[in-house]
Amino acid sequence: MKTTSLNLKLALAALGAALSPLAAAQGQPIRIGVVTPLTGTYAGIGQQVKWGLELAAKEINASGGILGRKVDLIYEDEEANPAVATQKAEKLFQVSNVDFLTGTVNSGSTLAVGQVAERNNRLIATTVSFSDAITGEKCSPNVFRVNARAGMQSAALAEWLAKDKPGARVFYLGPDYEMGRSTVAAFKDAAEKKGAKSVGEVFAPLDNKDYSPFFGQIRAARPSVLYTSVAGNDTVRLFTQMNEYGLTKNLTVVGASGTLTSQNLGAIGKAAEGFVTGVGYSPLIDTPENKKFVADFQAMHKALPDLYGADSYGVLYFYKAAAEKAKSTDTDKVRAAMRDIEWMTPQGKKKMRGGDHQAIQDMYAVRVVNGQFTIVAKVPGEAAIGPDSCTRF
Amino acid sequence: MLDWLQFILAPQVINGLSIGVAVVLMALGLTIIFGLLDVINMAHGEFYALGAYLGYALIASGVSFWFALVFVPLLMVPIGYATERLLIRRVFHSKERHILTLLLTFGLAILLEDGLKLAFGANPLKPEQPISGASEIIGLYFPNYRLFLMAVGVLIIVAVWLTVYRTSLGAMVRAAAFDRHMAASLGVRVSHVYAGTFAFGVALAGISGVLLAPIYSVFPTMGKDFVLIAFSVVIIGGMGSIKGAVLAGLILTQIQAVSSLYISPVWTDPLLFGIMVLVLMVRPQGLFGRLGHG
Repeated sequence: MKTTSLNLKLALAALGAALSPLAAAQGQPIRIGVVTPLTGTYAGIGQQVKWGLELAAKEINASGGILGRKVDLIYEDEEANPAVATQKAEKLFQVSNVDFLTGTVNSGSTLAVGQVAERNNRLIATTVSFSDAITGEKCSPNVFRVNARAGMQSAALAEWLAKDKPGARVFYLGPDYEMGRSTVAAFKDAAEKKGAKSVGEVFAPLDNKDYSPFFGQIRAARPSVLYTSVAGNDTVRLFTQMNEYGLTKNLTVVGASGTLTSQNLGAIGKAAEGFVTGVGYSPLIDTPENKKFVADFQAMHKALPDLYGADSYGVLYFYKAAAEKAKSTDTDKVRAAMRDIEWMTPQGKKKMRGGDHQAIQDMYAVRVVNGQFTIVAKVPGEAAIGPDSCTRF
Repeated sequence: MLDWLQFILAPQVINGLSIGVAVVLMALGLTIIFGLLDVINMAHGEFYALGAYLGYALIASGVSFWFALVFVPLLMVPIGYATERLLIRRVFHSKERHILTLLLTFGLAILLEDGLKLAFGANPLKPEQPISGASEIIGLYFPNYRLFLMAVGVLIIVAVWLTVYRTSLGAMVRAAAFDRHMAASLGVRVSHVYAGTFAFGVALAGISGVLLAPIYSVFPTMGKDFVLIAFSVVIIGGMGSIKGAVLAGLILTQIQAVSSLYISPVWTDPLLFGIMVLVLMVRPQGLFGRLGHG
């Protein structure tokens, strides 16, 4: 008898505890945590994430919010460091009591924060991280990805290659570490399936000074296409030196989306002309939604959006669509609503695949013309998405 | 077999030679400063970066590459001279000279690197190549700028050699290195020779910066690029030996170039440092003796 009453009391207390924040939450703003690098090497990416979210929050709040509640963004600087990111995420879940969390850039941070979200029974979405593992072998029921993963970028590029240069002879050059080897392996696989012939590969050390020792090998293989996934200043040197040796004649250079960025395009100059890569967004996408987005973004921030800004803008509409479909901010109800939901983004309609929490979206092949990325091909989302390899849920 | 010699080995050897000249240019300044002042200049790579940035800034302001190539080393001379007089001099006579100068120049390297980052930003920059196109040699194409680099590099190396071994100025420098007190009592103004030699080494780093920038680009951490291999070259060649720096520089880069035909390029650096360890074990003083002792 005594134990029963104790149990009853406990149950009542638990019920009260569970109900009171819910009751208090009505009419209060929906809190969205943003753990993103605001300082350090990736601060430029964090800036775009912040800008995209701010624009979406402003629009949503101006048109009545989500479920009639205003959106409140709470920022924490993760310094692109997974250890810092987990602390900041823990703080946002425990102290700030956020309903949803986004903003992680580094794939390592996304994976680590995903585990924190699982422990706290909350949902997160990344708008930047490329690593296939996030919605593949390391997928989590609490983690969603609204941006295109590395494999989709490779698939889009391979699709373009098969159409534009059927039966291409491809040579691969990657930086000799995990990212370099996995990007080359992924693109090689995608390109070979589309009929390309691999004629050789070489992996150069990170921060390689001089690529000319590899040029003999490349020439001897007589490729028509060179795929590379070097990044940063390595790209500057590779492109400059290839140009110097006249290697770029009759050779199409393609690569990973991180190979050429606004950070190194200036230093490479003319040697970057003609480079093709696969991406999930370009400010040049010619649709009314995107034109409006680019104009609003520029008016608010005096800068062009890039893929990170666009996908971070889109993630708030993703959450809005799911919360309004679920008519709740409860984790389980929102998760169920997020699965297989369709929502509008600057890239057009995206669909969240329920099986692995990876967004399906149209992909683009873009080429550098006069120092600017221009769209050369559009690859439908279904052709680029690839199989669902998540086995956890 | 002939094809292999012509199309595989020859380009590798010639490319190796152009990298070799770059390495020797870096090692020369380092070995001269060590040979005379007994100072290991940890900031040598950053002086190379400073030269490259000064060259880039001059070219961006509208002057020609050729003007920058001559003017930058002239700018570097007072910078080097002041560094020796204002910083190195203060700890030079301390008992802990080796440690103190090492730490001092290391600190200077960090300051210079961050200063360049503040002034020019973290993104890579690159001056346009002043000589474009390629030439045919034994049926192979080589960029004209690399051929020019090799020619200028050889000229600089020969000029340094002649200055040190065949002029009265060089004789004073070697005398001061061999016996400071004897040289001073014979009327050599040793303190000026020291500062002047340091400035000369820094100017060599500066001209290397301008020469190599069109190939290797300009960025704040570029100082770390050649300085490691230049240090190993100086150690293997014999610290302070010009002959040693030239020979060791050319031999090591050839070993790297040819071996990269057979082993993964990632292993060429361990190979090089392995050779350095072996030389240190068998012949700790290096292949050749010190400046003024040969």
